[in-house]
Amino acid sequence: MTDQVAPSVTVTNIARRTYRRRRNYTGLFFVLPAVLFTFTFFVIPLIMTAFMSLHDWPLLGERKLIGLDNYVAMANDRQFWNSLLFTTRYTLLITPVIFILAFVLALLVNLPLRGVGIFRTAYFLPVVIGLGTSSLLWVWLLNDRVGIINPILSSVGLIDRSIVWLADPNYAMIAVIISVVWKTVGFTMILLLTGMQAIPEALYEAAKVDGAGYLQRIRYIMLPLLRRTFALALVLSVIGSYLGFDQFYIMTRGGPQNQTISVVYWIYTNSFTYFKLGYGAALSIVLLVILGILSLIQLRLLRDDTAF
Amino acid sequence: MCRRLFLFSLFTAFFLLSISVVAAQEPVTLTLWSRDANQAFVRQLVDAWNETHDNQIDVTIIPSAEFVTRFGTGAAAGEVPDLLPIDLIYVPEFARAGQLTDISEFASELPYFDQLSPSHVRLARYEDGLYALPFTAEGSVLIYNKGLFEAAGLDPEAPPTNYQEILEAARAIRALGDDTYGFYFSGACAGCNAFTFLPLIWASGGDVLSDDGLTATLDDPEVAAALEFYQQMWNEGLIPPGAQADSGTDFLNAFTTGTIGMAGTGAFSISVLKNDYPDIDFGITFLPGREGGVSSFAGGDSIAVPAGAQHVEEAFEFIEWALSDEVQLDIYAQTGQLPVRIDLAENEYFEADPRLTTNAEAMALGRTPYSFVYNQLFNDPNGPWLQMIQTAVFGGDVEGAVSTAQERFTQILSGQ
Repeated sequence: MTDQVAPSVTVTNIARRTYRRRRNYTGLFFVLPAVLFTFTFFVIPLIMTAFMSLHDWPLLGERKLIGLDNYVAMANDRQFWNSLLFTTRYTLLITPVIFILAFVLALLVNLPLRGVGIFRTAYFLPVVIGLGTSSLLWVWLLNDRVGIINPILSSVGLIDRSIVWLADPNYAMIAVIISVVWKTVGFTMILLLTGMQAIPEALYEAAKVDGAGYLQRIRYIMLPLLRRTFALALVLSVIGSYLGFDQFYIMTRGGPQNQTISVVYWIYTNSFTYFKLGYGAALSIVLLVILGILSLIQLRLLRDDTAF
Repeated sequence: MCRRLFLFSLFTAFFLLSISVVAAQEPVTLTLWSRDANQAFVRQLVDAWNETHDNQIDVTIIPSAEFVTRFGTGAAAGEVPDLLPIDLIYVPEFARAGQLTDISEFASELPYFDQLSPSHVRLARYEDGLYALPFTAEGSVLIYNKGLFEAAGLDPEAPPTNYQEILEAARAIRALGDDTYGFYFSGACAGCNAFTFLPLIWASGGDVLSDDGLTATLDDPEVAAALEFYQQMWNEGLIPPGAQADSGTDFLNAFTTGTIGMAGTGAFSISVLKNDYPDIDFGITFLPGREGGVSSFAGGDSIAVPAGAQHVEEAFEFIEWALSDEVQLDIYAQTGQLPVRIDLAENEYFEADPRLTTNAEAMALGRTPYSFVYNQLFNDPNGPWLQMIQTAVFGGDVEGAVSTAQERFTQILSGQ
């Protein structure tokens, strides 16, 4: 009996293996363009940056291999540490603001009301203009002579005199945060919205039957099931805040008193104002490592072991 | 047989010679890279050349902010233009990095060499060579609104000649109303203040750098005096509050609103005001020192031939042409551009508007800091120069501002 079965089994095994191999190759061909793209535009420049970081590389003039001297210099670079501190403080301030606002907005646009699509679009629209454009827009909105923010605030009695927002040490950071939140909250809102819409209605109904109120449903049903989406949105938002440059370059120029120089701003200054490309490259590598570690930590903490 | 061979070789030699002569005279195309700040004028100048010469010039315009980076990457790739007008403050750095051709021989043959703008020439020298010649000229001056002067009871033909007179004029103009201010400067623009604030220090006999550009001298008492002067005007409310945040956008705009009494500016503003704001009656005078004296920041572009350029001889021809009498008068002066030769500051075209002559004279007596790290010191919005002005004027701490700046300047200069 085994003699009768064996040949057909062997044939099937060979056929299965060949089929699997062909499927693997097919899969490979499908991802090849993406792999090539990532390789050319990310991996290779990354290797070149790492190479540059080991040199004293002035824009004009001879470059010199100096090993890890750039990294050593970084440890003594006061502005680098100030920038890191500032960027961290900025991220810690802006992330909760974005998330709380985005969550509330997502809850609102999740309601099955007529015309809710208009609101979704309206909240998302600022996301599609560039950060540079939105920063420039806010520079003029906040201008003390021709902007509309000051007149609006004084007409409701919140301020008695025009504030020069971007030159005032107390208000500059707030102004930047408001403009960035306005621009980016729509994106986080959409992410959270898609996560919310993936939760089956049945779970809410079951909870209602058990006597759970609105807030309890949110706390015990929605939030836990939103964990993965939340993790994704958080990682993206934190990375984005850490890489903030446009808003500081355009709105405050690192001021007032050099207080708003973010890490990427410092990289830009070293590379394109001081023309110290090697040092700028070294700073970039360190920022990459920091962001990598931060992202790993976040993903670990928000690891979602539940499945439904 | 021998004779035939001889005639044949003679004929061949003559043939080859004539080909090479013809080839040498074949028109070449030169490349010129310019920053966008000057583009209208540069295009006009090059068009005039192209119309009257066989060798043609091809102009590439590059955004000012990217100019040095673009050239640096081009030089690294071996792709440099034949002609490169550069902001003169960069020439020492470029020359030291070996990026420019030494043109001292060519320059010494120019009959009017001694009449070329002294600041441009000084900044083009490095060790024993000369690496650029003046191309466009700018001098900083004090512009004042004659209409506001008259309304405030001041003599519009007698502009201020020292700090005290500026202060009094500013007070009188501020008293005219809530919206008029006596003075303006861009409080968040580093380069603007190098242009308009340094001359106040120079006119008072002080300086911020040694002549060779290697030592910082911010502890000069005239520096503190000038800062205190600005601080006083700010504290008395003679300057609009928005000036503190102005990164340069309103450098001229503020004056064009007609509500500012006096401001530092350059020659470019003269044509803008005459063409776009004819209602403003304005006067030009020199930037004064604390108790008199005058000075100016001599700016503009110098033109150089990058090292490794393909058509060096032809490039020299263009430079010589641009510096010649006819071009300096008929193209530069006629269109309101300052000639780069100080013997032509007074000319038939400027007679019609003596304000231009004042500006040209300012440029002639003007100075420019010589430094290999000019950007890091003076142009960087987060650098020590602007920080010093902001801390002293807006923060009220002149002493601290000066000592911090002196430290930072010294640090940067020693790191070269």
